[in-house]
Amino acid sequence: MAGTMSSIATDGRPTSSLGSSSAKPTRWAWLLLPGSIFLAVLFVVPLTGLLLLSFGMPSWTLANFLRIGDAPVYLTVLRNTLQISVSVTALAFVLSYPIAYALTTGGIALRTFLLIAVVLPYFTSALARTFAWIVLLGRNGVVNQFLLELGLVSQPVTMVYNRFGVIIGMTHIAMPMMILPMFTVMSSIDPKLVRAARANGASPLAAFLTIFLPLSLPGLIAGVLLVFIYCLGFYITPALMGGLSDVMITMAISSQILEQLNWNFGAALSVVLLVAVLIILWIGSRFFPIEQLLGFSDGKLGSTVARRQMGAKILMRIGSAANALERWLPSMGGRSVPILASFLAVLLLLPVLIVAYLSFSASSYFVFPLPGYSLRNYEAFLFDTLWMRATFTSIRVALMAAGMATALGGMLAFGLSRGAMPCRGAMIALLLSPIIMPTVIVAVATYFLLARFGLQGTEFGLALGHAVHAIPYVVVIVVANLRDLDPSYERAARSLGAGSWATFRTIVAPLVMSALIVASFFAFLTSFDDVVYVLFLGIGKITTLPMRMWEGIRQDISPTIAAVATLQMLVATIVILVGTLLRRQKNT
Amino acid sequence: MLMKATVSGTDVKSGSITLHNLQKRYASAMAVDDVSLSVSPGEFIALLGPSGSGKTTTLMMIAGFEMPDSGQVLLDEKDITRLPPHRRELGVIFQNYALFPHMTVAENVAYPLRMRRMPKVEIETRVRRILDQVHLGAFAARYPHQMSGGQQQRVAIARALVFDPPVLLLDEPLGALDKKLREHLRNEIKTLHKEVGKTMIYVTHDQDEALAMSDRVAVMHEGRIRQVSAPKDIYRRPADLFVAGFVGEVNLIPVKLKSGTVQGSAGETLSAPPWQDADRDATLCVRPEHLHLDTSAAGSSSGIQGRISGVTFVGDATIFEFRSETGLQLLSKVLNVSAKTMPEVGDPCVASWAANDATILTV
Repeated sequence: MAGTMSSIATDGRPTSSLGSSSAKPTRWAWLLLPGSIFLAVLFVVPLTGLLLLSFGMPSWTLANFLRIGDAPVYLTVLRNTLQISVSVTALAFVLSYPIAYALTTGGIALRTFLLIAVVLPYFTSALARTFAWIVLLGRNGVVNQFLLELGLVSQPVTMVYNRFGVIIGMTHIAMPMMILPMFTVMSSIDPKLVRAARANGASPLAAFLTIFLPLSLPGLIAGVLLVFIYCLGFYITPALMGGLSDVMITMAISSQILEQLNWNFGAALSVVLLVAVLIILWIGSRFFPIEQLLGFSDGKLGSTVARRQMGAKILMRIGSAANALERWLPSMGGRSVPILASFLAVLLLLPVLIVAYLSFSASSYFVFPLPGYSLRNYEAFLFDTLWMRATFTSIRVALMAAGMATALGGMLAFGLSRGAMPCRGAMIALLLSPIIMPTVIVAVATYFLLARFGLQGTEFGLALGHAVHAIPYVVVIVVANLRDLDPSYERAARSLGAGSWATFRTIVAPLVMSALIVASFFAFLTSFDDVVYVLFLGIGKITTLPMRMWEGIRQDISPTIAAVATLQMLVATIVILVGTLLRRQKNT
Repeated sequence: MLMKATVSGTDVKSGSITLHNLQKRYASAMAVDDVSLSVSPGEFIALLGPSGSGKTTTLMMIAGFEMPDSGQVLLDEKDITRLPPHRRELGVIFQNYALFPHMTVAENVAYPLRMRRMPKVEIETRVRRILDQVHLGAFAARYPHQMSGGQQQRVAIARALVFDPPVLLLDEPLGALDKKLREHLRNEIKTLHKEVGKTMIYVTHDQDEALAMSDRVAVMHEGRIRQVSAPKDIYRRPADLFVAGFVGEVNLIPVKLKSGTVQGSAGETLSAPPWQDADRDATLCVRPEHLHLDTSAAGSSSGIQGRISGVTFVGDATIFEFRSETGLQLLSKVLNVSAKTMPEVGDPCVASWAANDATILTV
């Protein structure tokens, strides 16, 4: 045959057998160690201890659990908890869906407005928001003043310290947590699908009901789960805004442990709550992989799960019914959803904004509209020794907590996203559990652990508790950022002569730095705003800023607290702005 | 096109790469199955194959980002199989260029020199010189995201060349670009190779690129190298059915080899290069541009009888679909050079070719 064919060269060299892929994957996994040990000691061990306590250690007994069933009072508490949680979840669901939908489908201006309306309250401390609602709904509150002036009522309506107030307050605080998972899933739905439905003859309503709604189902389920669990473990708002018939299980736990010093029974109540949460999580995980939501895997959200739920026949019937109905509905020119969403968003922002407004009051009472403006409330805060001392205590503790959480969480994030390890799922579950578990339970459990070492009532002990709570946030933020970090950068660096340490120092660290800064801000903020841990771990010896606010709200509602709350909101806003700027700077 | 004179001596890096029986297994499949290859200094060789053929894995093993399960990688007779990537002194150009986003163009290019702890002044001189060579002198202070795709590629090349490695490895660098830009940059890379004369190993799935740029092409499929030859030989003398079908269009005609002649399915004798071997079934391959459809000689010998079943105009050529009496479907490609009348659908004709234009394949 014509032409030359180069031969494939082989000579008699012996082949050597080498190990398989490079050692890198397992090396990264070592980074998981410090954070895992930290969480194991400060989270898993305390919870186990709690479990043992509930069984009446050192002697085994079910007496504590039986006591729950015996006294009607505790059954009422359980019933209250369920009722309130279900109501809040349902209400939050109804109010959140339009906002999430508008966030996904709206124009830039609407989306920005809605995003601010959702994110700003989310980063404002729950305490500040609860305070805002008390101001709004109190007998001398803003709403009652309006109603009286307009002559709609002759006497102030009781909206606080009852079921109504509790539900409103809790719903407001829970809504961002419902909106965000909804929005995440909705934004992954291909808009062309709805367009295809319209092209095939579906009216807008039918297209929504048969295409969009089922595909958004995983996000709805995730939101409902997260909010329901959050409600079960809610402490601050029900404690401040509820009446005697609105006692939730978290308040019972707190009262048993802090006031009655009945640790075993308090532990038993905590275990009941914990088991309830775990059951719901397990049920939920059958429908929705929670880790996807928090960015741990690359699977497409909302893919096959929703389709499994609804039979095609049912969908078709709904669709044709909707088509028929559409003819009778008044058309709002496609604006009905944006209008509704904007209205709800204003409701979300209103408490926050009104509190800020009232903080400039010249009088020591809350009168709406303000008779005069002054900075006296801010002065009262800044020049008061006790307030200032509390602030510095908060800052100290938050700095410690943020430092620990960022360091440990950062290492966990690297180990998790780069390391290859067998029980990855279990690791992720462990990492996320501090935020899903009701804070009360974790705080209670941590208290017992700290008491063993004499760390209860110390700032360091409090910082440890805060760090446990902040680590999941740090991990989620850094993991998301690492996912966007193209591994070819590191490969390029290595091909150009950089060893492992040089690659990390010159390439990885700078690119991850902004995420670490944002994460540390978050950690700082969660520590700074916390009330529950302080209540349980501080045992009255530590007065942080939220602690002072908590006491203040219980005693009287003074505008000084409004000033403090506004300052907290300001800090949160700055954090968000800095975070957004950093992210934008990185992307350009 | 072996440009640079090679000096044999252990202290001068001439840039020859030798692969000995590389193997790499992923889970249940062999990604790279007994790959051996010898690349001469200054040669431009393409690893061509579809996705999953093992070409990128092979390149990664040469670069050091993957470790073979067994086998060796040699650079100038030195075994580098165990060396970590940062000590191999090879230039690598990645698929998306991997330019560091937080560094300017100049800092990117200076990076390898910094890692080698060169004095600052010398770094600056070298960086400036190479940026001028790739015509990017004015962009030294820009960031990668401010540059176009073509400019980014030039930065990547400059960065990979600035420390004067003996070999350049390129991983589908033109994959993410549109057609016009691809052709333009293809020529730039080829010109670059002529200028610097370094050994270049180029991974691609695009056969046009491979044929246009390389001194030799190694066609890979399912982890094995099927053929390594100059582009002309890959095209005209494919070693097996996969290579024949992967590179360009090909007509595959099942034939029987009987006592030195080649018989088609209807028993007719077909033109073919001489064949000396036992009687057996085989496949005869002939490229569409070598397949002549003769409407005037319908009924005569030395070809396959049939009809024209389709005519497609593609601008510079016309593709004829031919269907033989036994149901065999072939393609013929004719350049539209003259205005002579083309055959039409349904015309009876004979498909034939020159003996030397056909290849007999038994695998």
